Amino acid sequence: MTKVLEIKNLNKSFGGIRVADDINLSLTAGRVLGLIGPNGAGKTSLFNLAFGNVKPDSGSILLNGTLLDGMTPHQRARCGLARTWQHVRLFPSLTVLDNILIGARGYPGEHLTQVLFRPSRLAAHMKGSLEKAYGILERCGLGSAAEQTLADLPYGRQKLVGVARALMNDAQCLLLDEPMAGVEGQLYSIMQRVVREVAESGVAVGVVEHNVAFIRDLCDEGVFMFAGKILARGAVSDLIADTQLTELYFGT
Amino acid sequence: MEFIYLIIIVIGIYVILASSFNFVIGYGGLLSIAHPAFFAIGAYTAGILARDLGWSGWITIPIGAMMAFCCSIVVSLPALRISGDYLIIASIGFQLGLIEVLKNLKITGGAGGLSNIPAFLVPQIGSAGYAALVTVTALLVVLLLRYVAHGPYGRAVTAMRDDEAAFAALGRSPMWLKLWVLALGSGIAGFAGGIYALYFRYVTPEQFDVMQSNIILTMVMVGGMRTTWGPVVGAVLLEILPQAITFLNLPPSVLGPLQGIIFTSLVLIFMFVRPGGLVSAGQHWHGSDYGPARRVP
Repeated sequence: MTKVLEIKNLNKSFGGIRVADDINLSLTAGRVLGLIGPNGAGKTSLFNLAFGNVKPDSGSILLNGTLLDGMTPHQRARCGLARTWQHVRLFPSLTVLDNILIGARGYPGEHLTQVLFRPSRLAAHMKGSLEKAYGILERCGLGSAAEQTLADLPYGRQKLVGVARALMNDAQCLLLDEPMAGVEGQLYSIMQRVVREVAESGVAVGVVEHNVAFIRDLCDEGVFMFAGKILARGAVSDLIADTQLTELYFGT
Repeated sequence: MEFIYLIIIVIGIYVILASSFNFVIGYGGLLSIAHPAFFAIGAYTAGILARDLGWSGWITIPIGAMMAFCCSIVVSLPALRISGDYLIIASIGFQLGLIEVLKNLKITGGAGGLSNIPAFLVPQIGSAGYAALVTVTALLVVLLLRYVAHGPYGRAVTAMRDDEAAFAALGRSPMWLKLWVLALGSGIAGFAGGIYALYFRYVTPEQFDVMQSNIILTMVMVGGMRTTWGPVVGAVLLEILPQAITFLNLPPSVLGPLQGIIFTSLVLIFMFVRPGGLVSAGQHWHGSDYGPARRVP
């Protein structure tokens, strides 16, 4: 199995707090890896480090063998990395459909020279992007919400829009930051199905999540993080069964 | 009649300035004050080339626009790299610095201004013809900016304004986008500068000071930020209003300060009464490709 994202000997401290303590981790194509651990364990920080939102003190990160160190977040995204955010971070001025369309890769309409001098090319590209965007919206159960504004959408659905936007980006590695927080009922199963399908299409998926049931049902494998360290890696059911880890999780 | 043509030409120039400033500050959310500085670069470039090299306005006006476009990139490259808030400081500094440079260079005519710019088109087609041409040009600029701001490019600009980090996470560079938005807006301001210089045939550094920034900003705010027609309405209204006041037969010592007071009061009143401006933009960005064409069956 091919390793898509590789994190090697990664270290990061904020003042005296170590959020990454010699982290070695790899994400594999077609598999979902769950990151579990108590608040402050460094799970989201690890995503921020991988994406270049935070600079590491030492260590390196590779995507499909390409060294990402020193790249800006948008350069990493171009290499094939995508992420969602704990607090959604959609574009409130845009409709749901436009929020998805903005995720498309290499859109010629976003280059001034193309806009001004080659408008015909835009129209052709627009059609393809629209078809794809509607396909993704349908998969995420958002087909009827395309022209809606985000303010009209319940929080759980906004989370799905966030995932849909990342899917539009055709990344090889997708990092989901608490996709289930605020997602309930029917949306829960949609989210689960969508993430499963993405992984089956060959994408390496990493999930930070506090919903243990979601992690157990979805993830092929899990890692347990505590105080910036990876304490264990294995089947999620084994991690949950480990009393020592459970104690750390609940702080007893 | 000459006076009416003059007002129409000035309105046309301000429509171009306000629309391009709206693109930068409204759609792009980039707080740059230096719009009149790029107006000045276009005006001086077109004026100097026409006077010293005898080139036609058909060439010098586009060169003035290109000059403003390029200068904008050079100025904003370091400012945007640091952070958004530094842009406003850098832009004020650039504007004040540029005025001082214009005042002290020999080629720009110093504080006395650039005079003896040769006439362009007016001897052939008259003021009426020039006014018509400026009006059509202004309309084309407004439509061009609408096309850009309400197409996929405008969508990207809007997303960048909403959340830079999320925008970058989709593989787009917020910095380069900001750079191009500023360059396009500034280039168009430079274009307006050329039209201005070759009509009035005389420009001075004071015409491009911070008061000018205030006027253009007022036009955008009163007219309606992030709309196609708001800056147009604002430019027409705020050019006609001062002319109307002149009919009150007030002494010039009162008239001058009165205009400044009116502009400032208008901004304050609108901020409370109608913050969206006369032509209010909806809360959301609308693509020009909205409607049936967007739907995939």
